[in-house]
Amino acid sequence: MTDPRRLPQYPEQTPEDGVPLAGPDPVYLDNPVLDATVRMVTELAAQLWVERERRLVLETLLAERGILATEAIEQYRPDAMRAAEIKVERARFIEDVFKELRRI
Amino acid sequence: MNAVPTRAVPWASVSDDPMPRLACRSDTAYLDFVEGFREYILGQGADFESRLNAALVAEGERRQAPLRDSRQVREFLRSLPLGQLRDRLARTQQEMKWHTIWRSLDQQREALRDELARWDTRGPGRLELDPGFVAPSYLNVNFHLQPGGYYHDELSGFLYHYGTKIFFRGDNDHDELHDKLVGKVPAPADGKVSRVLDLACSIGQSATAFKRRYPRAEVVGIDHSAPMLRAAHRRAAMLGDEVTFSQRLVEDTRYPDAHFDITFAFILFHELPQRITQATVREAARVTRPGGLFAVYDFSPTKAMSPFQIYHRDFDAAHNGEPYSQAFCDCDFDAILARNGFRLAAEPAASQRSGGVGYMKHWFATRD
Repeated sequence: MTDPRRLPQYPEQTPEDGVPLAGPDPVYLDNPVLDATVRMVTELAAQLWVERERRLVLETLLAERGILATEAIEQYRPDAMRAAEIKVERARFIEDVFKELRRI
Repeated sequence: MNAVPTRAVPWASVSDDPMPRLACRSDTAYLDFVEGFREYILGQGADFESRLNAALVAEGERRQAPLRDSRQVREFLRSLPLGQLRDRLARTQQEMKWHTIWRSLDQQREALRDELARWDTRGPGRLELDPGFVAPSYLNVNFHLQPGGYYHDELSGFLYHYGTKIFFRGDNDHDELHDKLVGKVPAPADGKVSRVLDLACSIGQSATAFKRRYPRAEVVGIDHSAPMLRAAHRRAAMLGDEVTFSQRLVEDTRYPDAHFDITFAFILFHELPQRITQATVREAARVTRPGGLFAVYDFSPTKAMSPFQIYHRDFDAAHNGEPYSQAFCDCDFDAILARNGFRLAAEPAASQRSGGVGYMKHWFATRD
């Protein structure tokens, strides 16, 4: 399956002498599973920050405009269509964090 | 012509920030995380540097011979879990950065392509691309792991702009670092500055800083990469700075002898093979007038580095797309300058932000 988020292939690099370049997927820890684990934790932290930043903006704007109290967020239940959309988002989130599993 | 004080960057007077916009707020937030994470692992947060340097010093004491050789420090630090983890995180944050910037800009490729085309022929300033230009093979490297290197992607200049924003960890969002570095470059002793050349200008941040410092001077930025030069011209024109950006090689500029009063090279030489470094200094000597100044800012020599900095240099060479940096740090750059007719003046201490104390260095050399 094509991963649309992989970077494109550019021409092979042609360094002249110098220090040999590491390959595209170097392993630094004792085995590739540990490397993937560190990547996943880092990715998770990044994704968490993206969400937190957005929520902070959202809640601030909603409160500033007197549109929504925090309690309304707790009470919200999506309809079927919105629930399906959220599931797609969930799949994307899992892919973002755990794509490392394919590299092992 | 005398130097005038650097004017403030005219952000208020332009309609847009020249920094390329990302596709969505989530991408901006993701890269904001990477910037903070980079600061954390390279700085005092995770504190890898001082702990690993202490381990290297202690190991040198144990062996009764300081560890100064790249291979020695590499073998020792890669035997430590802490060293392995640091390398993993250093590589990962670069991969996260490029992956997201590339994806975000690629989503807007057509709009960004149109935007570059709109600015190509607009002033102030001028863009000179050479349709017959062929990049020498030594330049075909993904420096700093940038996807497609400096010239294989039509958006390379935009990728570089956002990539270096993250690299400089918030210190250069509005070109503050370039303004500061250019501000440190002394004028030639006779004060005459009519023409300035920025070698390998990339997106032109030093060139525009020179134009602001010497508004009556003709400032030229050259680079091999057309995408970089197009982004440089767009940025300078947006800021209202009249600079010429021209596609040329640093080792063969094709400018007349003694043409420039100041020739500037910002973090250039560590990205050149040694034979090109020699040729470029020769070329700088040819185009800089007698009494003119050649200002260089680059990595310090290996001999001035701490054991950890020696390691970091070695790691970056192989794992961050810097194949030529080790040879540059090992060479006697002072001697290369002297052999080509440059006289070195005392240089100010470089900022401690990039790579720690003593990692970066200024060279201010006057042409005999």
